[in-house]
Amino acid sequence: MKKLMLATILAGAVALPAMAADYTIIAPANPGGGWDQTARTMQAVLQDEGISGNVQVQNVPGAGGTIGLAQFASQNEGNANALIVGGYVMVGAILTNNAPVGLEAVTPIARLTGEYEAIVVPAASPIQTIEELVEALKADPGAVSWAGGSAGGADHIAVGLLAKAAGVDPTKINYIAYSGGGEALAAILGSQVTAGISSLGEFVSQVESGTLRLLAVSSEERIEGVDAPTLKEAGLDVVLQNWRMVAAAPGLSDEQKATVSADIEAMVKSAAWQEQLATKGWADTYLAGPEFEAQLAADITATETVLKDIGLVK
Amino acid sequence: MSSFDFLMQGLVTASDPMLLLYALIGVTIGTAIGVLPGIGPALTVALLLPVTYRLDPAGSLIMFAGIYYGGMYGGSTTSILLNTPGESASIITALEGNKMARKGRGGPALATAAIGSFVAGLIATLLLAFLAPHVVKLALVFGPREYFALMVLAFVTVSSAFGDSTLRGLTSLFLGLGLACFGIDQLTGQARMSFGVPDLLDGIEVTTLAVAMFAVGEALAIAALGNVGDDKVHAVKGSVWMSRADWSRSWKPWLRGTFIGFPIGAMPAGGADVGTFLSYAAEKKLSKHPEEFGHGAIEGVAGPEAANNASAAGTLVPLLTLGLPTTATAAIMLAGFQQFGLQPGPLLFVTNPELVWGLIASLLIANAMLLVLNLPMIGLWVKLLTIPKPWLYAGILLFATLGTIGANPSTFELGMLLVFGLVGYGMRVFGYPIAPIVVGLILGPMAEQQLRRALSISQGDWTVLLTSPISATMLAISAVALIVPLVMRMRGRGALLRQMAGDED
Amino acid sequence: MSVKQHETQRRPDRAALAVAAGLALFGGVIVVDAARLADFGGYSGVGPGTVPRMVGIALILLAVWTVAAALRGDFPERPRQQPVPVLWIIAGLAAQLVLLNVAGFSIATGVLFAFTARAFGQRNLPLALGVGIALSFAVWMVFSQLLLLNLPAGPLENLFFGRPAP
Repeated sequence: MKKLMLATILAGAVALPAMAADYTIIAPANPGGGWDQTARTMQAVLQDEGISGNVQVQNVPGAGGTIGLAQFASQNEGNANALIVGGYVMVGAILTNNAPVGLEAVTPIARLTGEYEAIVVPAASPIQTIEELVEALKADPGAVSWAGGSAGGADHIAVGLLAKAAGVDPTKINYIAYSGGGEALAAILGSQVTAGISSLGEFVSQVESGTLRLLAVSSEERIEGVDAPTLKEAGLDVVLQNWRMVAAAPGLSDEQKATVSADIEAMVKSAAWQEQLATKGWADTYLAGPEFEAQLAADITATETVLKDIGLVK
Repeated sequence: MSSFDFLMQGLVTASDPMLLLYALIGVTIGTAIGVLPGIGPALTVALLLPVTYRLDPAGSLIMFAGIYYGGMYGGSTTSILLNTPGESASIITALEGNKMARKGRGGPALATAAIGSFVAGLIATLLLAFLAPHVVKLALVFGPREYFALMVLAFVTVSSAFGDSTLRGLTSLFLGLGLACFGIDQLTGQARMSFGVPDLLDGIEVTTLAVAMFAVGEALAIAALGNVGDDKVHAVKGSVWMSRADWSRSWKPWLRGTFIGFPIGAMPAGGADVGTFLSYAAEKKLSKHPEEFGHGAIEGVAGPEAANNASAAGTLVPLLTLGLPTTATAAIMLAGFQQFGLQPGPLLFVTNPELVWGLIASLLIANAMLLVLNLPMIGLWVKLLTIPKPWLYAGILLFATLGTIGANPSTFELGMLLVFGLVGYGMRVFGYPIAPIVVGLILGPMAEQQLRRALSISQGDWTVLLTSPISATMLAISAVALIVPLVMRMRGRGALLRQMAGDED
Repeated sequence: MSVKQHETQRRPDRAALAVAAGLALFGGVIVVDAARLADFGGYSGVGPGTVPRMVGIALILLAVWTVAAALRGDFPERPRQQPVPVLWIIAGLAAQLVLLNVAGFSIATGVLFAFTARAFGQRNLPLALGVGIALSFAVWMVFSQLLLLNLPAGPLENLFFGRPAP
């Protein structure tokens, strides 16, 4: 009798995971950052929409997401229940850190959201337009200090691309790296630096209140509701989207990959997801399948080139 | 409506019994997770934020405020009783508080921490309510050079406050600075001291080092003395409650701690820990009983605990007035506010006054709730120390590793805990103070980065450090604080001072 | 912490010399690692290697000072150290590290608990193990199920809460 009960419990313990479409999402960053928020938003939507019964988020912080990525790839071979959130920053971090595990080690599922870079100056700055900023940069690159996110991240890469497009030696840019958006923003507001660069969302409320002047954005075309030219309009051929994606474990079968892709697509199409994007101010840049894979490959090549130009990767 | 009316209205709303219950739940679970060594308020809030989503905005806001203050406060209990500071801001609390607990004065130590946190929380929240727009203007004046000068000041004041041997104090500090060299260099992205090990790229976690040095190192050191047994910890000697003398020695440190902690918390790169260091140094300087410091001085608990909680309110200044999340905790709170349809930013006070004042009222209520929850618990907490040693220390290590595993479930982190635990044990055996190593790890990278940022902006011109009046003043004070004791020592008075301190043993 | 000043002619403190060697080694490693870094100072003139180099040199100087202090016998007297309890705790921490991802939080931490109790004089190891695993399991339930902390699950946890280990 006892044995039977134990066997039933054991069978239950083994059978349960197979029945429920459970996911564990790795957020390869500390709580609070963009990847963590993306993972936790996914958790809420997947559960509330009934796409998955139980979703857990696990933070594996470190080194621009490369530690989480390496751990994810090595521990989840063929595990269709494991997901990882990542983004453009990872592409650069893998290169600058010489990470042993790259994005080719996981199964990319879809690009979820994206933000464009914005270039701002404090309201009191004499610089009025992006052209004037570029002129100043050409005249003396060292005198133009840029506050932005971590070294080798999207912000740094954007400044490198901008300098190159303007015909300035990218190794000569005076880029001041800050660990978080908040600290960089404080430096810009306090006029400690010449200009600031970050995701547009970081600056929106400051621009609206008139404490910062938005000079340009890094999108292909003008963004609706944003009163600023693109870098392209200013004659600088720079387009950069700081995107976030979700990927699955390596070694999945085609059916497994299709199931995960379908779940993610259902999540993205849900009203709850769209509502979350709206409250958080994230743009829906959903892209899946071969198109996403092609774009990923293109980004990796372009990033490698510019990091070499800046001198961060040999 | 004036600010005051809004605040009153918020308080009336928040005194609904149901909302008070939410506040109590928030404070309780915030404290429950916050007590774990290694899990600071950031992770606590991140873990528990989803719980608040299920409630209506008012309930969710108040529960959230409870979790935040509970998480900030939680660490002090374990720091005092078990000597396991959970985050960098409670290291100082452990330093004096645990010494008090060992002398049977755990009750007064916990009480001064709880009341000090309440007083600081109350004053700082009111300062936040009425002065935030002005404070933030001052905070923005601080650029890299001013921060560098502030770090230098913190270094000088704090290092003069540790230990009786210059050699061993300096060695401990430089070991901490050495450990700070591990990991990716923030400004250039270069990997330093990582030897190709990916887990080292992010450097050494302050909480891991603190837990290892304090909890593991101490367990090893005490075990190594064998079971001779006369080192019995006195659970309670004298009253559990604060005596008249305790009160009179506590109230000034509470106030000073508040006024040190609040502005530093409000600075975008200040941080709660720096405030506690400065408060500790100030109390030691001003105390009538400097010889008690290092052996359980109540001022050394009262001041830093107040500073810690005041800086928690200070952090909200740039968040609410500018939308600037200056700490990990603040970044998570930003995400939380967005759930309430609140976009922090320069216009927040104008566009959403009900929500802002509702939040401030919630913080005040949560703060009071924290005191209500914790004061009656003190008698219970100090009983912890009557647990027989084998079970007590086994429990300490259980909770110490639980915090580390919960924050980052990697065996590498546990390995570091073991290695640094052994280092901490060795340092105790040889009489090295352990606080400076942790201080070095915290302040080292901040000082280095701010200096390099300042020099990068000035294109290599070192004189900028002196052309800003704020930075020049702080550097001058640091220089005086460093030179005066040296001069005193050279005139032979140092020996006298040392003797006076030594006689107290 | 009063040091006995009477024994003026103490022999050189060998353990303190070992500490000095350790400091010098650590400082040396930092200096060597700093030398490997490219000069990336940019406009600041202070590169990623500058500060580590200074810290490393300072550690080496402190090592020299430590040698001098050790030769003078300036180190405080140390109480006799018992190696056995220390080894029990180290073994407990090592066991937890090894077992954590295999056996789950409760069993791994239960072992640490029992070994630590043993180090502090609790002779009955099976009892301590039982108490440790039970306590750890209770802690696991509260923190991972109720408060959503991510703690590794093993066979014991899965028996009661069937969820795949992440």
